Amino acid sequence: MIRFNCMKIVLASALFPPDIAPPAPYLKELAHRLAQTHDVTAVVYGHLPEKVEGVRVVAISKRRALALRLVAYTVALWRAARRADLVFLENGASVELPALIVSSVTKTPILIHFGDRTAKKYFYHKALMRRVADTIEESPLPRPEILPFEPRPEAAFAAYESSWHHHLAALDKKFTDAKK
Amino acid sequence: MQKNNKTLWEEYVARERALLLPVLLRLGYTLEESQPHVLGERYLTGSGGRKLVLVGKDAHGKKVVIKASSDASGIEEMQRERRSREALERIGFAYQTFLAPQELSWGMYGGLAVLITEFIEQDKPFLERPLEEQFTLALKAFKAQESAHATTSSHLRAVRHDFQQIQQYVQDTTLSDCAIQFISENQDTIEQYGGFLTHWDFTPQNFRIRNGEIYLLDHSSIRFGNKYEGWARFINFMELYNPPLAHALVQYVRDNRAPEESLSLRLMRVYRLMELIRYYATWLSKTSGDLHALAEARIAFWSEVLRCVLDEKEVPAEVVESYKKTRDSLRSEEEKQRQVGLH
Repeated sequence: MIRFNCMKIVLASALFPPDIAPPAPYLKELAHRLAQTHDVTAVVYGHLPEKVEGVRVVAISKRRALALRLVAYTVALWRAARRADLVFLENGASVELPALIVSSVTKTPILIHFGDRTAKKYFYHKALMRRVADTIEESPLPRPEILPFEPRPEAAFAAYESSWHHHLAALDKKFTDAKK
Repeated sequence: MQKNNKTLWEEYVARERALLLPVLLRLGYTLEESQPHVLGERYLTGSGGRKLVLVGKDAHGKKVVIKASSDASGIEEMQRERRSREALERIGFAYQTFLAPQELSWGMYGGLAVLITEFIEQDKPFLERPLEEQFTLALKAFKAQESAHATTSSHLRAVRHDFQQIQQYVQDTTLSDCAIQFISENQDTIEQYGGFLTHWDFTPQNFRIRNGEIYLLDHSSIRFGNKYEGWARFINFMELYNPPLAHALVQYVRDNRAPEESLSLRLMRVYRLMELIRYYATWLSKTSGDLHALAEARIAFWSEVLRCVLDEKEVPAEVVESYKKTRDSLRSEEEKQRQVGLH
């Protein structure tokens, strides 16, 4: 199958399902949607991440000691990023430091999404911000819940799909600009 | 055999009460006359050590729950319950808070452990509420439990002294062939959803509802394990007590969560059903007469539910109704009294 405007995209995140914090389901849905057009690899922390069709998911166990998992993550991110067109980074301390190191070697453009407003910012955050090609502040709506004793929330699903449509359109422009 | 076990329990209750009464007098509490939680099949139930669960009143006439034990494993269970309840309030990585009855008194009195907690009044038992409300309350409780997910080495360190952690659910050769094959082939899916806080005996007798909030009881049953362990116990229980609620919860997972999560739920249901069948099998050697026949009926019923879960079929309503009739005809009057308002 020929895929137009196909890019090699690396998604870097500390969270991915079965994690339950809000950036996790967002990353999974983003990976699924981007994989319709692009070549997507997700580098995440976790033990047995959920599968996403058409997406290669590389997981680094969180159960290792902090220093070991940071090194392992940095190596995995470098491997994925060195041949990628861009790295889409979900903010978070445990991903930002590896991304800073990897970006200084590979020069792969980085886009950072601020999905977790509560994430701690360490001393290297500013250094990373000097390297990022662009930032993304907005997130699409969370997926509505289907509840057994209520009609399917069609209006909420339409709003959800629309929010993803706008989000992906905004990302597409930022991806193209970053690649230039 | 039945008489022996029951007599031993009654003697234990009388002994503990004799030790407890002067302690309560000193602390300013009294026992209520009717104590349904020591009657009926209570002498056969309980996973841990022996302990009394009694209802009493404080000096102002306010109802309280009194737990007492001089049995080493009973004391250990009470201490674990306290540790878990306190730890639950300070888990740093949980996204939601947990409500529990307030502890009013705890102490050791000459080898007798006594724990007194607030009694959570509820306007009606869980199963008497409308189905939609039951669903909403149960889902809220499960989401609260899931909000504590121990993923990193520091999370695991933080909870290892206060909660049991289950990483391996399998390695049990007493499971039936089909069940063991199903679980063995899907061990990764069980492990994938590990590290979540779960109340492994999450049934209406172990929580109470006040102002729309669920208060967890029996904190000794809280541990870190598969996300769906508590769901599985609750749904299996509801296959008997309220099948539409069981089906609604299964459907919710199917509609809103990843396919691996539905599989994980089914795996845990199979695991918990095998555990239940094995539990009732232990009753066979301890009982006689009606209670022995009831244990056999329970084994047959839960085996049928297991078969349906393995085959992904609903349990036929006539199977449930027939079992209920058998159960009610075999239950003692004392047990019927103990069951009133329990769920």
